[in-house]
Amino acid sequence: MAQTVQERAVTRGRALPVTGTPHLARKRRLFWPFVLPAIVLYVLFLVGPAIVTVALSFTRWSGAGTPRFAGLEEYRQMLGSESFGYAFANTLMYIAVGGIGTFLFAFLFAMVLRDMKASKLIRAILFFPNIVAPVAIGMFFGFVFRYNPSKQGLANFLLNLVGAPAAKFLQPESVVWVVIGALIWASAGFYITILMAAIDRIPPYLYEDADLCGATPWQKFRHITLPMIWDVVGIAGVLWTIGAVKIFEMVFVLAGPGTYLPPNKTWTLAIYVYDRSFGTQGTPEYGVACATAVVMIVLVTFLVLTLRWVMRRERLEY
Amino acid sequence: MLRLAGRTIIWLFTAVNVLLLYWLIAASFKTPLEIFRDPFGLPHTWFQRGQPFRNFLYAWNQAEFGHAFLITVVLTALASVTIVLVSAPTAYALSRLGVRGSGPLTSFIAIGMGVPIQTVIIPLFVGMAQLKMTNSLVGLFLLYVAVSLPFTIFLLTGFFRTLPEELEEAAALDGASPLRTFVRITLPLAKGGMITALILNAIGLWNEALLAIVFIQDTSGFTLARALFTLYGAATYQSEYGGLIAGVAIVVIPMLVLYIVLARRIISGLTLGAGK
Repeated sequence: MAQTVQERAVTRGRALPVTGTPHLARKRRLFWPFVLPAIVLYVLFLVGPAIVTVALSFTRWSGAGTPRFAGLEEYRQMLGSESFGYAFANTLMYIAVGGIGTFLFAFLFAMVLRDMKASKLIRAILFFPNIVAPVAIGMFFGFVFRYNPSKQGLANFLLNLVGAPAAKFLQPESVVWVVIGALIWASAGFYITILMAAIDRIPPYLYEDADLCGATPWQKFRHITLPMIWDVVGIAGVLWTIGAVKIFEMVFVLAGPGTYLPPNKTWTLAIYVYDRSFGTQGTPEYGVACATAVVMIVLVTFLVLTLRWVMRRERLEY
Repeated sequence: MLRLAGRTIIWLFTAVNVLLLYWLIAASFKTPLEIFRDPFGLPHTWFQRGQPFRNFLYAWNQAEFGHAFLITVVLTALASVTIVLVSAPTAYALSRLGVRGSGPLTSFIAIGMGVPIQTVIIPLFVGMAQLKMTNSLVGLFLLYVAVSLPFTIFLLTGFFRTLPEELEEAAALDGASPLRTFVRITLPLAKGGMITALILNAIGLWNEALLAIVFIQDTSGFTLARALFTLYGAATYQSEYGGLIAGVAIVVIPMLVLYIVLARRIISGLTLGAGK
């Protein structure tokens, strides 16, 4: 608290005399030497390239020679491409369906886990997939959902065991659902943990009061839990969106052979960017790739702002 | 009734997770026949033949996996330490010196967390190629450090804000210079936060694949995640399913060990930003 007051005093008027100022003034000389290395790297490797990407999206360039200005031509080409259509639709699917699935799942678990004894252990087990490489998760599920009459994966093995016919899960038409399932499975632990941390901060007397009034679990969730953790739900939604826009490795290895690109029906925007720039076939089209990258930035920004607007409300005091 | 159903579902789901992990580790010791015929049984064929680690040896020698393992260990360690060394002073300066503009500058850096790598990768590739830094582990190291800064700085500013100010003031009264105070007083106090940052970065870089795919072409420079792609193709082609799963296990097991030791620190570190 003292620090924030001091901070405010210092930021308002530069050399405002607060206790310990000579020392503070000397300390402040550390600012630029401390901040500069990180700022330089940040600008050189992230801010600068982001600006260059926007500029390159208005040019035609294959990597050799100099980029030629092309106006909106690369955007037109991108929008006309069938692969881009698939990539855009799939990315939206992952964000929306995967997001809704993950949050429903996380809410359900958070509701029940609240008064379970082994809650910490279960949370720790469900969290683990979050620190496993997406490539490894993709390959793992690729193996689980394998279709091959003589060498079935785990899923088809179980289907056969109960007498059901084996299914070709990893066909371009259905692999999107496998990826969504894998995403929900892998991310649920993270969102359960975030929501549970917020739920743990709710004063228990609210639930005790509700119990006295004979509230059902659903009523308690709807009128106590949800309003009390609303802000955290909003932040979790933003985190999900940022993560889901860049889905790449999981689709790459689940839908394809791993060494080259999967069929274009399964692509995401991230895979489309990769294909136009570093894909193995044909000459690179950096303009189209950069235009798609711009679409990714615009999409994230738009979704995050919309989400914040939808989730806005007055602060709850308790 | 409803509660019982909910609990049953949660226990079932948790059990499935444990079972999948068991399946992965068991299968990495099995022959393809055992994997497909007896997915839940214990491995025995390779044990009976006296070469229990046969699958791991196959994976280790394919796609220079063993070499990739060493590269990844060294690269991950060096990059994580460098990231924290660069981020800690920045986070301290932004959160504790009360310099005008610190707030906006912090937000400006935090935005970097929301930028997908794909949106900067083309200029990065072109620029690095001009500096002859593509297909180079030094180049990959630089990229890893730079792209990890926003998250790490954001995480550490949170830690520095929670530190008490009194000790710093006492040191200043005793005549210690600001730099000395930072190194001798503040950094040791922030040790917990810095270790968390170190671990989270190590996990992230251990699993990183996109930059490694784009920037490294020679097998001799492959990282583990990159080598896994190649192993996937080769092992599928040769029907070496045990070797393939052993490869996945080689990537997963170090994380599992780390997680068993440090689960609480990892979970709280990764979910920290969201709670505030």
